[in-house]
Amino acid sequence: MTPVIDAHGHLGAWADFFVPEPDADWLVDVNTEIGIDAVGVSHLVAVGRDPATGNELALAEAGRHPGRLGVWLVADPHDPDATARLRDQLDRPGVWGLKLHPDTHECAATDPRYEPLLELAAAAGVPALVHGQTRSPFADPGVLAELARRHPAVPVFAGHAGLSPDGFHRAARLAAEQPGLYLEICGSRLTTRWLERMVAIAGADRVLFGTDACFLDPRLGLGKVRLARLSDTDRALVLGGNAARLLGRRLTLASQETP
Amino acid sequence: MRIFDAHRVLGPVPGDHVPSSDIAGLLAELDHLGVDGAAVTPSDELYGDPARARHRDAGHARLVTVPVILPAVPGAGWPDGPGAVVDAAPALVRACPVRHRFALTGPVALGWWRELAAAGIPLATDAGEVGLDRVRALVTAVPELRVLVLSPGYRCLRELAELLTVHPGVYVETGTLAAAGGVEWLARQAGAHRLVFGTGAPVWDDAGPRFQLDHLRLPDADVELIAAGSFAALRAGETP
Repeated sequence: MTPVIDAHGHLGAWADFFVPEPDADWLVDVNTEIGIDAVGVSHLVAVGRDPATGNELALAEAGRHPGRLGVWLVADPHDPDATARLRDQLDRPGVWGLKLHPDTHECAATDPRYEPLLELAAAAGVPALVHGQTRSPFADPGVLAELARRHPAVPVFAGHAGLSPDGFHRAARLAAEQPGLYLEICGSRLTTRWLERMVAIAGADRVLFGTDACFLDPRLGLGKVRLARLSDTDRALVLGGNAARLLGRRLTLASQETP
Repeated sequence: MRIFDAHRVLGPVPGDHVPSSDIAGLLAELDHLGVDGAAVTPSDELYGDPARARHRDAGHARLVTVPVILPAVPGAGWPDGPGAVVDAAPALVRACPVRHRFALTGPVALGWWRELAAAGIPLATDAGEVGLDRVRALVTAVPELRVLVLSPGYRCLRELAELLTVHPGVYVETGTLAAAGGVEWLARQAGAHRLVFGTGAPVWDDAGPRFQLDHLRLPDADVELIAAGSFAALRAGETP
């Protein structure tokens, strides 16, 4: 049976608004109840202000929940020590790949400062989950398509698949046209209608399930995929088949361990 | 468990092609999700001038039409005055002070709200359009008016909790309370009887909130209130 893999999650609190359930225990419990086998997380301390500290927090939580939490290591383009630190951390258990947040870091995904970090991802054979946002000068889907073109060895997960309804169609077209660019679908504005269109335009093998937990409630994200009008084959690819293929040996699942 | 979506739009919407552009399509959407009924705002009234709308009544047993009203000086609003609203006795009315450009707490509108409150007719308004500060100003000015806050989003839980605590006539729609655990947190703060299942579809997602309803970490009685009971109480004029 194809696992259900949430490709885009977080842990921790955020300055901009109140998050009622910021902790890993709640997320793992709810995921167990609703049938999400594993979620890849970046810690919001890492996304928001301190990648060195936040990445260690995420690794510690992944250690507490092996096979249930994977880690996206936040890659800071402004930190001269980031490459060396991430090189070591990439070998730690549970790491899925790198997380780029060009809007938070105010640095375009195609900026030269990201280059050594993406070369590191290529060498390690891991994907990059990149926050994407239509019309952002740092992370518009067009910028992410260019990133995928420049780095064919790094699967680029376009976080939020455009983010806003007026950008979904273009993001799907870009994914259809650019090898290595994948649509990760989390976000409050996605509907089943748009998910079905993304699958039709880009192909089910280019769309990845994500929830944005704990920003957003994972039950909402899963419900969209469960209730979308997709074939069983396409739904399985979106829910986890694609993520399992792209993460490869990096993905270990508690739900598939032999007792 | 009966499930009633307290916030849907019936008819074409700008910027998309949606199945719920007609009644048959909307009912098919409800059936697909296992939703028994819905309160629907005619898109003709929402996105157009309510006074000039051509499609007003959904006219189906599963659907409750929520007319859009526009309190204004005579000749510029819809209908002519609050008495016409009271005579029509709708289960709920909707108002869009930003979209339709009128003063939510201006002297004309306040007169309407007082008459509607006296008649037990609740008001629905979109928090994303109006802002919670204006909702608070309204219910402070007319505390007996019951107000259903639509589409509050997931970033204003603190403000919502405060609003619900201070103003017993305020209810909140759940579909966009998307922060992790947000529905349960607000239910613990204010009570499930103040939370109303509604989605805002097709503009907002309906599948996620519907799935979430089956997996809320609340007592069954609370889930039943959110799913349909709270709206029924709001409609019936029961005091929270």
